[in-house]
Amino acid sequence: MLELKNISKSYKNKKVLVDINVTIESGEIISLLGPSGCGKTTLLNIILGLVDPTAGQLVYNGQDISKQSMQERGFNIVFQDFALFPHLNAYDNIVYGLKNRNLQMSKEEIQEYIDFLELAPHLHKKIHELSGGQKQRVSIARTLVMQPKILLLDEPLSALDGVIKESIKERIKSIASEFNLTTIIVTHDPEEALTLSDKVMIINEGTVAQFGTPHEIVTAPKNQFVEDFILRQLQIKRHNIYQLFGETYA
Amino acid sequence: MLKTNKMMKLIFLPILLFFLFFLIVPLLYMFWQSFKIGHVVTTQNYIEALQSIEIREAFTNSFKVSFVASVITTVLAFLLAYAVHFTTMHRHTKKLVQIGITLPMLLPTITYGFVLIYTFGNQGILTKLVGQPLFTIYGYNGLVIGYVLYTLPVAFILMQNSMQYIDKRFLLVSMLMHDHSMRRFYHTVFRPMLGTVGGAFILTFVLSFTDFGIPASVGGNYRVIATELYQAMLGSIVHFERGAVISVFMLVPAVLGVVILTILERFNFQYKQVGQSELVKHRLRDGLFTIYSILCVTVVGIIFSTMFIVPFTKGYPYDFSFTLEHVQNVLAEKDLTKVYINSLIVAVLTAIFGVGITFMSALLNARTPLKGRKSLDVASMMTNTVPGMVLGLSYLFFFNGSSLKGTFLIIIACNIVHFFTTPYLMAKNSLQKMDPTWEVTAELLKDSWLKTVIRIILPNIRPTIYQMFSYYFLNAMVTVSGVIFLVSTKTMLVSTRIKELQHFAKYTDIFVLSIFILCTNLIVKLGCDYIAAHKEKTEEISK
Repeated sequence: MLELKNISKSYKNKKVLVDINVTIESGEIISLLGPSGCGKTTLLNIILGLVDPTAGQLVYNGQDISKQSMQERGFNIVFQDFALFPHLNAYDNIVYGLKNRNLQMSKEEIQEYIDFLELAPHLHKKIHELSGGQKQRVSIARTLVMQPKILLLDEPLSALDGVIKESIKERIKSIASEFNLTTIIVTHDPEEALTLSDKVMIINEGTVAQFGTPHEIVTAPKNQFVEDFILRQLQIKRHNIYQLFGETYA
Repeated sequence: MLKTNKMMKLIFLPILLFFLFFLIVPLLYMFWQSFKIGHVVTTQNYIEALQSIEIREAFTNSFKVSFVASVITTVLAFLLAYAVHFTTMHRHTKKLVQIGITLPMLLPTITYGFVLIYTFGNQGILTKLVGQPLFTIYGYNGLVIGYVLYTLPVAFILMQNSMQYIDKRFLLVSMLMHDHSMRRFYHTVFRPMLGTVGGAFILTFVLSFTDFGIPASVGGNYRVIATELYQAMLGSIVHFERGAVISVFMLVPAVLGVVILTILERFNFQYKQVGQSELVKHRLRDGLFTIYSILCVTVVGIIFSTMFIVPFTKGYPYDFSFTLEHVQNVLAEKDLTKVYINSLIVAVLTAIFGVGITFMSALLNARTPLKGRKSLDVASMMTNTVPGMVLGLSYLFFFNGSSLKGTFLIIIACNIVHFFTTPYLMAKNSLQKMDPTWEVTAELLKDSWLKTVIRIILPNIRPTIYQMFSYYFLNAMVTVSGVIFLVSTKTMLVSTRIKELQHFAKYTDIFVLSIFILCTNLIVKLGCDYIAAHKEKTEEISK
């Protein structure tokens, strides 16, 4: 369980985040949703330990981790464009972190991750030979073998083609349930957030506009911003798709 | 797709002819000369040269001293670039490094040598402070220090450009993966930089190997290949064939260097995107790098400070009272002011025509389907390979007896060819980054190709044009090795005049002239930077 207590962040005089209070249960998939510049990436960096909050506390399983370094926290992140080492092949990228810690992970265990992410045929390929989806999975594998306590994903779908998006969504869901892994996703796409996560935190101008399940957000939007920014987009999409297929397919 | 039109061919032809007459034919002619004694074609010249103890010694000396200097330079430059890009050193310190280290580039290399003499020599400032000379500055020591000073800015700029494009988020990945500092350094900095480090080493080696200014001033009795070549051509006994042979020898490491550089290219990899990420603070690291950076800049500063002290003191090193006498003397001497004007004329014309030719070449190469446009890349590679001294010498052979001999034109042509590569690549890079559909769009809007170039391409490439101008101007102002064989009494330049003043031991004059060059270059550089930045800013605002 991760609790954010009164988290605020300001740069010089500019307030980026104001008084964020949220509790994330373990094993949940949470999306941080909001327009660009709303502060969601800053919040992600604060959770990761890369950026120090100006005020507030982070509590993980009852322990205050605000002062812990990034490494001590043991969370991990998959970047939007995957940040795979270009001079190493897929396999060497996956096992990169294992060489550092005396993590007792057997060949079989590594193989399990590889099989789970269906990477076996691609292990000896260079990074530039992989497709977007394959890079994504290598990057996830590299992070998972480190057995992070919380998995952070920065815009995980935005660098991928349309068709593959849906399969990656399913993959993320199955990872969270298979490893009971708390997963925090940053995204600006309402559809992505609402179809992928257990709970969605909508952020606007540094504050939480609404935090709840997708169902709650759709049925009971808390304010104008959620209605305009989130629901309106989805309604237009729904309308377009109805027009294409006809109401009967609803 | 854009089609080839007459206009493109019309521009292409003179450029081709220019390279033919000012690069390829002179070099071939010189090569031919190296095989001739009188009218007989023979390899005798080479055999003699290889048997000559002096030439062999000069060659090994050059190799040794350049090798040592480039190892030192590469390490120093790498650490400096690292300090700028991978530490959270104060940004003022970073700026100080970027300016302080590159400032000497605005001076002719021949000045470096005299500055060293005045710092480390018997009457040098450092010698006075310590009480006795630390080491003999003439010969090996002076050459190593001189070459390091000369090549450090180039290596530094190269490395810091490259480091700028390293994805900093890999540091983050590495930290999250619990890397030890050495492993982090290897995977996030050193491995991505490997190609550049090798490249910087080769480049500094070739620069040192082929430089004439530094050995001319501080070489003493230590034979190197550049002074040997000068002796053969302009010494008391002239050996033209020997000169031709030596310059072919000089080409060898330069050619090898380019070959190795192409191989090293494979070690480079490009990051698709450059992720910016905040660097983590580390007190000890940042502190050490701050000390190191300030130390480097201070050393460079101290060494070059003599240049500003000597000309303004009455009788260095005996009378330190301030005077403007020396400056006034130089200004009063018509001869010296004329030389300065000559330099200005050459630099301005080189810059104007140089920019014209490089821009047109880059344009034809990067944005037209013209047949044979790749030949411009070949030209660029050749100009990058051929040392200035060799190029100048080939002109001396080829244009000897023609009406071009002893004119400004030949000097300007030599400069344009000698410094072609960098501005050409600058222009090419910018042009390639522009939207490839502009020409077609403009054509659909009924613009001719030339109009498109003027109305669309030129306004968008303007900042790069200023940079190219400043590059050509600065280099034309400081080059010694390129033009040493080409100047006549009428076309004498400041940098070559310094070489003459050396004979009369007129060091104060040398320093005054150097300060003139420095100030001129500074004004041009700052001016170009300002216009380029200013233009961009106003454009941003108008958006």
